[in-house]
Amino acid sequence: MTLSKHAASLRGISRIALIAGVLITGATTAHAADEPVHTVLNGLIGNYAQAARDSMTNESVKELFDKDGFRDYLDAYPVGELAGGFVWEPGMGATFTGPYSDLEIKAPFTDYLPLKEGPVLNPDKTYRIGFVFHGFNHPWLISLADTAAWEAARHPNIDIEVIDAEFDDNRMGQVIDNWVAQQYDGIVLWPAREAPMGPPVDRAIDAGIPVVSLDRRTSSQKISSEVLGNFYANGLQQGLYLKEISDGGNVIFNRKDLGSTADSIRTGAFLEVIGSEPGYEVTGNYHTKSQRTLAFQATADALQAYDDISVVYNTGGEEAMGSLDAIREANRLNSAPGGGKIIILANDDSKEVLKEVASGNVDMVAPYTPLIGDVGIRAVIQHIGAKEGLNEAPPKLIMTPNLPMITAKPMTIEGVKTVTPDNWLYAYGPAAK
Amino acid sequence: MTQMELMGQKPRRIPALLKDPLVWLIVAVIVVGALTSPYFLTPLNLANTMRNTAAIGLLSLGMTSVLLTGRIDLSVAATMVFSVILGVVVTVEIGALLGERWLVRGNQFAGPPLLVIAVTLATGIIVGILNGIGVAYLKVASFIMTLVTLTALRGWNYILTNGHPYYLRGPTFDWIGDSVYFGFPTGFLIFILVLVVLLVFLKGTVMGSRFYAIGGNEVATVYTGIKTNRYVVLAFAISGACSALAGVVLTSRLKSVDAPLGSGYELTAIAIAVIGGVSLAGGIGSPVRTVLAAILFASVLNLFGIWGVSTWYQNLTIGLALILAVGISSVRRRILER
Repeated sequence: MTLSKHAASLRGISRIALIAGVLITGATTAHAADEPVHTVLNGLIGNYAQAARDSMTNESVKELFDKDGFRDYLDAYPVGELAGGFVWEPGMGATFTGPYSDLEIKAPFTDYLPLKEGPVLNPDKTYRIGFVFHGFNHPWLISLADTAAWEAARHPNIDIEVIDAEFDDNRMGQVIDNWVAQQYDGIVLWPAREAPMGPPVDRAIDAGIPVVSLDRRTSSQKISSEVLGNFYANGLQQGLYLKEISDGGNVIFNRKDLGSTADSIRTGAFLEVIGSEPGYEVTGNYHTKSQRTLAFQATADALQAYDDISVVYNTGGEEAMGSLDAIREANRLNSAPGGGKIIILANDDSKEVLKEVASGNVDMVAPYTPLIGDVGIRAVIQHIGAKEGLNEAPPKLIMTPNLPMITAKPMTIEGVKTVTPDNWLYAYGPAAK
Repeated sequence: MTQMELMGQKPRRIPALLKDPLVWLIVAVIVVGALTSPYFLTPLNLANTMRNTAAIGLLSLGMTSVLLTGRIDLSVAATMVFSVILGVVVTVEIGALLGERWLVRGNQFAGPPLLVIAVTLATGIIVGILNGIGVAYLKVASFIMTLVTLTALRGWNYILTNGHPYYLRGPTFDWIGDSVYFGFPTGFLIFILVLVVLLVFLKGTVMGSRFYAIGGNEVATVYTGIKTNRYVVLAFAISGACSALAGVVLTSRLKSVDAPLGSGYELTAIAIAVIGGVSLAGGIGSPVRTVLAAILFASVLNLFGIWGVSTWYQNLTIGLALILAVGISSVRRRILER
């Protein structure tokens, strides 16, 4: 299949979701309380995507949206139903201690594509699975590795090797090639960027080794499965919240790497929601590489340059903490025009960010759980089983459930019921001091 | 030891090569690898190791040419990526002037690959020449000059790509990145070809010997009437050309290029050159030993990978090896100077 055909198929999926979304959204208000949050959010995604395609009347927002080419990314990002008709409910999932972080974890999706504890597939055989990612020094990524290692440890005939490629795409490719040479049974990866990981994944697939990507995508058309996060729902909910509590204002952006899926989809979705709201103005736009220190610096600079900032949009939790630190240091938390608080929008439900939400410093956070490594391991085991004729293969696109935003007080915004920090069981990372 | 030996110009014969500890270290790694893993000596694994040697080895060869003159080039990895990105951008612009669309949806490059490669190589050489002019004629310290170039090119990479990758697919890139002849990947053969050219230049020409002279004692070289500046520029141009070629080899393997690629590779290139015996003070070193060090480096990393050694320990090992190599180089130089 060519790339264009692949993109077209993904757009097809998006369109199906869109049509479903439009149909669903018509009834959203009436039935939201009865529908799973995944369905409600997919409906809203479809609705706002179509509205943004039709027109985007806020020139400032549109200029940024067009300049960074968000439409192409958003159209290619799949939005759809969960594998096997899975329905996620708050409270689901297993609790355990992370093998790497030593932190207590409650992973939300351990019942998704379930596998019983004990030997898997052929019990007389040991299966070697490689798990390669970047960043043992990053709380989100350690949690990802924690869940993968936990799932592997539940099955005595699974031998997992976990490698940190240290944000070097070439090195990750070399690790995968190495596993291909060693004839591993399966590979799970967290690719930082899409483009360079396609060829090594293709080589593994050509060698008969199932490969599953987590969270982010690769450029491979052959990959066995992609376990996709809910970036679209993240950005959408940031926009919904902002629209709900304000009428406009100057917005500064602390974004991840330009071109990364996390930035393209979250920021794109956020802009889709506020794209036809007249009051918002893009005042500052920074790429702070998921680093707290860079987000601190960018926000501090923006606070120096502008005295009328109303909103700080952050693509990730580290950025949110960096911007909050800068605002606190400048004593500008309540310096929005009219004496209001600067609204801080965040992603990634770390315990640290949740504490700030509970304290009212960060206004909302859209959860993006790293606790999905287990889903990837189960998916690759099932692919190995399918190769050996022992079970059905899981679908190529494995969507993870959309999760509701977290706010200090319970709210219902366009049918989305928010969760309070105290009631959110899945926060990751070390406890906030 | 004679001055010729100090300058690294002792004629190498095969028996002499066999006395080189790097050769025996490589043999030791191969033996240990073969004894501890059934996969180490498989054709696929050997090809992988050679591929992994090629790009970083090319950077190290370029670094060697600059280190020999007593300078350093911190911009090699940034130049590697920038050259390819500019190669694509310029080629696409040429296509636009000809009424052709060579960048199709999804940032797939669809133009003539040979033109991209030609522009890439030219870019690398030009960046090297600019570095050389800054160092030789404007008297900017090479550390500062190339650090500035590194920073500027990394930023420029993002500006030129707007953060998006360029996909490089097609038979030419497949040939460079994936093809194998008698067990040797094309990228590795390109690397060996560059070694031969550099070896002939450094060991077999008067111009090449000037590099050693400048690195050994620049003041004395100037007093002999040699215009050292032009050789310094030439050394940086060679480094730029090697970087660009490394970019072609690496991106052909990955079938894409994007701005963050290869971050930190300049330090690995320095490490390999120094492990290969190139003196940071200049004047001592051989591209053959740099190649041996690159092969050793890739083999050790491959073996660690097979053993499942964490990248932290891999980095620690590289760091310790580098400290050891620099220490030995320093002691050796002091002994020779007595």
